[in-house]
Amino acid sequence: MAENSGTDPAVETNTEENAAASATIIKVTVKTPKDKEEIAIAEDSSVAQFKEEISKRFKAKQDQLVLIFAGKILKDGDTLGQHGIKDGLTVHLVIKTAQKSSSGSSQTSASSGPGPSQGNTAETANPSPASNLGTPEGSGPSPTPTQPPNILAGFGDLSGLGNLGMGSANFMELQQQMQRQLMSNPEMLSQIMENPLVQSMMSNPDLMRQMIVFLYSNFNILFLLVKTMELARNPAMMQEMMRNQDRALSNLESIPGGYNALRRMYTDIQEPMFSAAREQFGNNPFSALGGNTDNSGVQPSRTENREPLPNPWGPPDTTTATTTSGTASTTSSTTSSTTPSVSNPLGISSSSLGNGMFNSPGMQSLMQQISENPQLMQNMLSAPYMRTMMQSLSQNPDIASQVFMNNPLFAGNPQLQEQMRQQLPVFLQQMQNPESLSVMTNPRAMRALMQIQEGLQTLQTEAPGLMPSLIPGGMAAGIPGAPLPTGVNVTPENPPPSGQGPAPAPAPTPTAGTNTAQQQLMQQMLQMFAGGNASTPTPEVRFQQQLEQLSAMGFINGEANLQALIATGGDINAAIERLLGSQPS
Amino acid sequence: MADGRSFNVKLFIYDLSKGLARQLSPMMLGKQVEGIWHTSIVVYGEEFFFGGGGILSCFPGGTILGMSDSTVDLGNTEVPRDLFQEYLSSLRESTYRPEKYHLFEHNCNTFSSEVAQFLTGTKIPSYITDFPSEVLATPFGQALRPFLDSVTITPSGDNGMNGYGQW
Repeated sequence: MAENSGTDPAVETNTEENAAASATIIKVTVKTPKDKEEIAIAEDSSVAQFKEEISKRFKAKQDQLVLIFAGKILKDGDTLGQHGIKDGLTVHLVIKTAQKSSSGSSQTSASSGPGPSQGNTAETANPSPASNLGTPEGSGPSPTPTQPPNILAGFGDLSGLGNLGMGSANFMELQQQMQRQLMSNPEMLSQIMENPLVQSMMSNPDLMRQMIVFLYSNFNILFLLVKTMELARNPAMMQEMMRNQDRALSNLESIPGGYNALRRMYTDIQEPMFSAAREQFGNNPFSALGGNTDNSGVQPSRTENREPLPNPWGPPDTTTATTTSGTASTTSSTTSSTTPSVSNPLGISSSSLGNGMFNSPGMQSLMQQISENPQLMQNMLSAPYMRTMMQSLSQNPDIASQVFMNNPLFAGNPQLQEQMRQQLPVFLQQMQNPESLSVMTNPRAMRALMQIQEGLQTLQTEAPGLMPSLIPGGMAAGIPGAPLPTGVNVTPENPPPSGQGPAPAPAPTPTAGTNTAQQQLMQQMLQMFAGGNASTPTPEVRFQQQLEQLSAMGFINGEANLQALIATGGDINAAIERLLGSQPS
Repeated sequence: MADGRSFNVKLFIYDLSKGLARQLSPMMLGKQVEGIWHTSIVVYGEEFFFGGGGILSCFPGGTILGMSDSTVDLGNTEVPRDLFQEYLSSLRESTYRPEKYHLFEHNCNTFSSEVAQFLTGTKIPSYITDFPSEVLATPFGQALRPFLDSVTITPSGDNGMNGYGQW
């Protein structure tokens, strides 16, 4: 009991404090749900005295104060020392209001008394309906007479709930209450439904809308997370999901303004992630590339797969073309990474590949990381689903070509497409070739390749006449050897005459055109580098069809035809122009 | 007021990633993280937690997360249930309103920690409360931050999983 009723002015307190001045004054923090105050009190005070101080500070009556420390309720008769309350410690305080609501938000009053209180605040209503229903905890009687009549009184047994709806502005709480009650008592549901008030509630669209929103907003995020985890575990499922997503995204693209939205989405999400990933990634540099936050952990393997990294000297045109266009697109706008399209699993990969990989100057560091960590590459390549994917790609060139074609990078450049289409089977085979795998995983080999590329770059700057078309400006990204064959095959087709292809691609390229002999030389070099891969078709074989066409048209000079075709990369029209150009007519 | 009864307080710990965080975190974050922790306080035969919907409760193990992955016994409390409910209601109006939810800074674990302190005076294990800052300390976490600012996690006692994600 409190000797001091707390109504006395500071005098008494001072007296007390003075009296206790001999004892140590400690500072105890008193924390309410809303507030926190530091109170100085004598160490040997009683709880009652402490409460007096508190009541002044918090402007509440002492009877309303409930102090809790270390899980114990502090009774007035105890001393602070008894509970081990020392300087600097925190004591919790709950201020009971007459209506049992600390902030007075509740409307109904109830007995502020014994244990299981009657429903007052939305919260305390918890036990009350329970008790009304006779669940184990509730032992309280029906609502106290002090409860003002409320609309929901019609619920009868559920009148405890009545406080909920009206009292608390928090619809969520109501929701929750009902859920719990329903779970504990099935009959309640039928009771509720029969109640006319409920029925009118149901017919209130706003209310229903709120409920639905509440339900919805709670679950989808968690659901998403769980789904993601599942996906990460199950690649087949992921492919399916990716396909669906691709489709959805493609649809999105067709909406006016949708394309931009996609692009924005990509730039906003993927790029920061990629840059973050770059710094972070010891192990998996490609993780952020997917352009997809959720699947980034796993998808990148696939992205990475199609990347020119694999034997760049091999059926080079494909890879290098990819690279060129890739880096070329650096200068061009960032095409949507997710456009990919046609429900094929690599859809996203290729475009994000093009954009993500090359947009960022991080390519270089990426390569370094790769070369430093051969195990990584090996792991990625040997992932079972990668194998399956590659196999299916090689078996079904249509899909593969679709993949490539749909890559927006190539969209504007039929030459590349053509080349790639031709190179595709070869390329795929190469991927399966363990030798090329070992090249990729061999850090020294990679480094050598990089050196070669650097050498070529130097060569180009030093002796531009020698390798005029070799390295387009944007290639400095450091892809081993990538630019080289690119220069050979892609560039020639890009000079003004052909007039196609994305501007950036031809732009950086010095006009090369005429050194077909050198180009052929380069090609042979490349083929040599490919090593053990005899499947690179010679230009004659590749352009056989075109050659036939040209001769049918009347260009009988097979040699010139071939050279023209090589120079234009198989583009008949361009080749024709070339041939015509060399013959003044 | 205090009727001398004491109530057991437990902490339910859930790993939202179900083990995947342990596997993937070195790759994604650059450091090992044992799990993505969600916690709730179980007392008076009820499970209380804080999510996007505010402070919610259900019967123990009644959220869609099912039973907890691990449990920590926090001791006993003398605080009777009605007092606790009052305490919760003031929390609901102040610092634990639904809109105050922040995935990293003011989440279910913040709530569990505070309630545990209130009920028993003991804290919850530090690896749980340290988790957000650990993740935020990585560049990955920093990059994801704007996105995460809008995410809430609220396992509910109901089974209404509708909708995919919100972007």
